[in-house]
Amino acid sequence: MTDLTDLSTTEAHDAFRKGEATAEALVRASLARIDAHDGKVNSVIRLDREAALEAAAAQDKARAAGILAGPLAGVPMMHKDMYYRAGKVSTCGSSIRGDFRPTRTATPLLRLDAAGAIDMGTLNMAEFAQNPTGHNRHFGDCHNPWNLPYCTGGSSSGSGAGVAARFFAAALGSDTGGSIRLPASICGVTGIKGTQTRVSRAGVMPLSFSMDNVGPLARTARDCARIMRVISGHDPADATSAPEPVPDYEAALTGDLRGLSVAVPQEWFFEGADEVVVKGFEASLEVLKARGAKVARVSCPSLRAIGTYVAVVSRVEAATIHAQWMREKAGDYAKHLSGRLYGGYAIPGTWYVEALSARGPLLRQFCREALADHHVVATPSLRMRVPTLAETDIDADPANWARHMAISANTRPFNYLGLPTVSLPCGFDDRGLPMGLQISARPFGEGRALMVADAYQRDTGWHTRAPVLA
Amino acid sequence: MATDPMDAAKEAIRLWTGVACPNAAAARAMEDFPALIREFEAVRGTIVFEDEPSTFEAALRAEKEPGT
Repeated sequence: MTDLTDLSTTEAHDAFRKGEATAEALVRASLARIDAHDGKVNSVIRLDREAALEAAAAQDKARAAGILAGPLAGVPMMHKDMYYRAGKVSTCGSSIRGDFRPTRTATPLLRLDAAGAIDMGTLNMAEFAQNPTGHNRHFGDCHNPWNLPYCTGGSSSGSGAGVAARFFAAALGSDTGGSIRLPASICGVTGIKGTQTRVSRAGVMPLSFSMDNVGPLARTARDCARIMRVISGHDPADATSAPEPVPDYEAALTGDLRGLSVAVPQEWFFEGADEVVVKGFEASLEVLKARGAKVARVSCPSLRAIGTYVAVVSRVEAATIHAQWMREKAGDYAKHLSGRLYGGYAIPGTWYVEALSARGPLLRQFCREALADHHVVATPSLRMRVPTLAETDIDADPANWARHMAISANTRPFNYLGLPTVSLPCGFDDRGLPMGLQISARPFGEGRALMVADAYQRDTGWHTRAPVLA
Repeated sequence: MATDPMDAAKEAIRLWTGVACPNAAAARAMEDFPALIREFEAVRGTIVFEDEPSTFEAALRAEKEPGT
């Protein structure tokens, strides 16, 4: 048997279901790896060791009794510390909520529980999910397992770093401007944010009601397909969740890209892009072509307005949510966060309404420009090579602001558009840090985006590489 | 009344929300606003008087992946 921590989500479940590995063995392997290496990576906020072992024992007992296992039975998972679990502290990566004990459990966690996933605890994250780098003044910065001085990406920093480090098979992140896709790209794992409204946000810390999304980070597109099917679908506790039926995303993973057309927008996504990033992206298009896809360069003039408006919506909504704490205890936030929130109060209400009013028309325009004749949109997940934590530390030097904010330039537009978008590993830069390929599809086209990502992963091995943790 | 536009913005924030500028990072964040104002100027005219409310959710459904 291979090292159990090398198993992906679907592989770990298969090993459990076939009796090749007990849930307890899977959890113990994860715990041992966390104990050995998380002191350097700093991905974990709270490890529920005993509860995880008890849950694993219950899974093993059920299997021995012949009780049919759920689709994630036996799989060790941990989650960004903003998914509420009744009675347990959910810090949201902050000191302000250092003793916050919610009275309800988040719907995505309830659905994972019902599917048999084993929740081992909570993960480091950007304070209140509001930076793209992985800095955290309260719990310590999260470090990239591929090279510790480098960013993990954020805000789901512990989710990306922990999956990459093989601490657990998968994790939930959240994505308002790229917070799943950035750590997925930067840590070399696969992550998806669904269509806006696809996954319930009940019991999940809000950042921006208009653009928040729940989604997984895992090793493979197949893992993400499995988890997305479990967590998606209407939830009476979240009136904004979509009623559309949830398809079997895994059934769409055929590997067949014949007849598929991939659009590559010529605006926005390559402005000031590092050469190594562009080269990696172009090489990934060749992989898709070799599987039968056609690639077309398209013009999307709508991206200029999209890029303008997306800068407004989440800033205003976050500033509104945090207003009372900003009045009473601004000093309890990290400087980079209070600084970011502060700007939101300067934005006129008419701009905010304008940005929301334009959202539907711009989605329609973008779909006409990019997806009328094509099935998916492909872009690099980041324009830049992975920066170091020091290069993007605003608290140490406010002059790092521009570099810090530029990290999410390529992910933000898809939050404004609400489109399902996957980031998957597509190589390594000249400093040995991962790079990501971003695939977006039409609304509710999660299956399409995951199908393309899975096809890519059938012919490449980037997603199977693991960092060496001494 | 402040004459510098950013100082005026800080005064307006304090007046309208009661939030004070917390630190140098916040001041740096405000330096992005002239560029943002120019970007908004560039899209002026694209939003016109509408008789019907715009809904993003309707656009999501209108543009959704066939068969979903």
